[in-house]
Amino acid sequence: MIGRIWAMAVNTAREAIRSKLLYTLLFFSLAMMLLGSVLSMLSYVERERMVQDFAFASIRLFSVAIAVFIGVGLIHKEVERRTVYTILSKPLSRAEFLIGKYTGLLLIIWLQVAIMASFFAGVSLLMGAPLGFTHLAALALIAVEVAVVVALATLFSSFTTPLLASFFSCGLWFAGHLTRDLRDHGANSSSALVREGTAWMHRILPDLESFNLSIEASHQLSVAASDIWFPALYGAGYVAIILASAAMIFERRDF
Amino acid sequence: MHSACLRKRGWLRMTLLVAAIATTAAAHSQFDTTSRVGLGQLRVPSPDQVRLWSLGFDAAVADYYWLRAIGIVGGETGSIAQHEEVLADLIDVVTEVDPWVDHPYRFAAVWLTRDREMVERGNRLLERGISYHPLDWRNRYHLAFNYFYYLDEQPRAADVLEGAIGLEGAPLYLAPLVARLRSERGGLQVAAAFLVQMVESTEDQYKRAEYLKALDEIQIEERARLLDAARAEYWRRNGRDIERVADLLAGPDPVLQRLPRAQLYLDGFEWILEPETGQIVSSYYRGRYRLHETQTDRARKQRWREKREGVEGEGA
Amino acid sequence: MSASAEIVRVDDLVKDVRPGFGLRKKRVLDGISFRVREREIFGFIGPNGAGKTTTLKVLMGLIRATSGKASILGHDVSETTFRRQIGFLPEQPYFYDYLTGREILRFYAKLSGVSRGCRERRVTQLLELAGLSAEGNTRLRSYSKGMLQRIGIAQALVHDPQVVFLDEPMSGLDPVGRKEVRDIILRLRAEGKTVFMSTHILSDVEMLCDRVAIIVNGRIRYEGAIDEFLHAGEPEADLVFANLPAETATRLEERFEARLRGHGDHIELRIAEKDSSEALRVALDAGADVISATPHRVSLESIFLSTVNEADTEEDSR
Repeated sequence: MIGRIWAMAVNTAREAIRSKLLYTLLFFSLAMMLLGSVLSMLSYVERERMVQDFAFASIRLFSVAIAVFIGVGLIHKEVERRTVYTILSKPLSRAEFLIGKYTGLLLIIWLQVAIMASFFAGVSLLMGAPLGFTHLAALALIAVEVAVVVALATLFSSFTTPLLASFFSCGLWFAGHLTRDLRDHGANSSSALVREGTAWMHRILPDLESFNLSIEASHQLSVAASDIWFPALYGAGYVAIILASAAMIFERRDF
Repeated sequence: MHSACLRKRGWLRMTLLVAAIATTAAAHSQFDTTSRVGLGQLRVPSPDQVRLWSLGFDAAVADYYWLRAIGIVGGETGSIAQHEEVLADLIDVVTEVDPWVDHPYRFAAVWLTRDREMVERGNRLLERGISYHPLDWRNRYHLAFNYFYYLDEQPRAADVLEGAIGLEGAPLYLAPLVARLRSERGGLQVAAAFLVQMVESTEDQYKRAEYLKALDEIQIEERARLLDAARAEYWRRNGRDIERVADLLAGPDPVLQRLPRAQLYLDGFEWILEPETGQIVSSYYRGRYRLHETQTDRARKQRWREKREGVEGEGA
Repeated sequence: MSASAEIVRVDDLVKDVRPGFGLRKKRVLDGISFRVREREIFGFIGPNGAGKTTTLKVLMGLIRATSGKASILGHDVSETTFRRQIGFLPEQPYFYDYLTGREILRFYAKLSGVSRGCRERRVTQLLELAGLSAEGNTRLRSYSKGMLQRIGIAQALVHDPQVVFLDEPMSGLDPVGRKEVRDIILRLRAEGKTVFMSTHILSDVEMLCDRVAIIVNGRIRYEGAIDEFLHAGEPEADLVFANLPAETATRLEERFEARLRGHGDHIELRIAEKDSSEALRVALDAGADVISATPHRVSLESIFLSTVNEADTEEDSR
């Protein structure tokens, strides 16, 4: 099983690495880091920190963008091009196919994050900005967030067109960053429906703010180990749930 | 024939393109394109909204609003005062979204001075800064300054500043400054008691020396106040002011038998009348024990107060 | 024939689809049943849109039947592990065109669980079988249609399956390519494999298949050995003579109920196969020269067309 998933993953990675979109977005992320360095010159204080903030924002923005815009075509393209016919006629379950595709793309996106992170480190060293454990922790959680976003994109890609899938994925990504605040605002509501509604939204939708250590990284605040491991565990669980749902939907599809 | 035709078509396209560019540019120049900042209409969203929509980019979003704040101050050739609300809103957003920022708190303290309301907004920001940077003496210093300088609340200024004493990097003069602030309302006894307590609570020889020096000055000030009382007595008896400090000992009925020392440990210092103010001062200190104010400080404070009274008068 | 020799069993298979978003259902497969036996080449024939590809997709687990049962090698088609023993060539196959021929076969070999040790050997063997040894390191993007079809066959066989399903294996191939594919299919039978091929090219069926099923409008119209199908009546032979005396010809016509065609030097005689030796003897004795003597074959095409027409009139009358 692992062998088959891995074969699928390697092939998906090979395909993703050929995507022009990937390089375009990677280029823009690096360009945005440079732009951030220029912008930070406008400030007369805390320049190094601002360079790092912009670089970090760029990593998050573009890795999520890559995740969504490549992820949404992941399954759909296979079905559209009918490559899925020969693949699924092999002793490979649809779930294995899906997980393989997911893993392959995720590995490539993680590679992108690593490239962007090394650029971040380079810029930081050049600016004489501090690099610390918190940066590493924040990057790791960005990687987890990306894993969740790729899973969402895969889910939507398994039953709808790339256009709709990107709407849905982006929408959920937005919502995922809002639910926490919405719940807190909702908690003050006099309507029980709003209170319960926002609370349930927070429970069900991906709580992507859990993976946000941007402020902590920015100021090198100390982060408790539990603030890294529990979100990571939460993310892994969420990915598992989404992929299982995606597999269930995918199993029922006719090609 | 064919290529000539193509060339002609190429020219036509080129002409159309140039015409389009010209029209676009002309149209663009015909309407007002002043930015919202330029119009003084910049709407700063509430910190809650910004935090909600920062979508995990909190740090960068805070930096963005910080750059806008700097842009207003840096780009403004006229008075900053008309932009102070926007500045306060911007710094509020910056510090709500990323409360661990450092400099923006003091930036607010420096620029939000137009009226009492603005100073109080600045103070609220500084208080937030203190709660996120409790070990930084500078925010406390600025807050104390605002209380003392703009709001005339010396006891509160002293309370705030007392919290800054002993923090890393805090200058040694903070404790004596607190003592001075206390002396303005509570009198010299309160100031002295505070300093004695500081002396007792520190192990640091330099700090101790600094505090003892301040205590010495208080003792001299006590003597100077005695001399002030004697001067008033002299006026009552003779119907005129002294010309020299020695006058207090002169005459058939001298007010004093002798003058106290003008310096506690060193000889060669005497009591003199300070030429500018006419006050009795020790030639060692050449000034009296109180908060120092420069001429410009005084003028500025005066202007600020007048304006404030004007605004309050209008309100009433 | 024992049950274990039935490689593919399809019983009362129904597939409904809803084209578009409408609620209207369309029945693509209307209760089809057939069997494929071990070591045979089974032809699944029918006009376009009859349900051939749908049936194959159900068998490959690509779509789920609305009702009915389908099993291969005794396993329900919804299972996956048994697929190690089957190979599939879809109609007009498409592969990742950024891979080379060798890479794509390696990929499918991995998916099929071919062990690392055998993988390279198998891949090389199959490139050879498909006649693509020279193009093994060329990306599929620059393959011709025929080459893609052959790489498709190679991927279906890369894991040495017992049963091979081919959907329109000859489509888009030139005569040479068709010959090559035919040779591969015959070789598979020689190796003891079972081949299921869907096609509408009847000459291929005639040349290759042992048994056929004819599907029209989602129903099986005929299932059986191709010879039985072609020779439903008594087998006949065509005898062609030169210099056949007229009276002998008349005698043969009367005696053997033969049908006569042609004139003068070239006379063609259709006659029951069992009588052909006797007729030849009579003709030779009369001094005639034999030009040819061949068993008469009814063309599959004519039978196929009449089957389809029959089905259509049946449908119309219902």
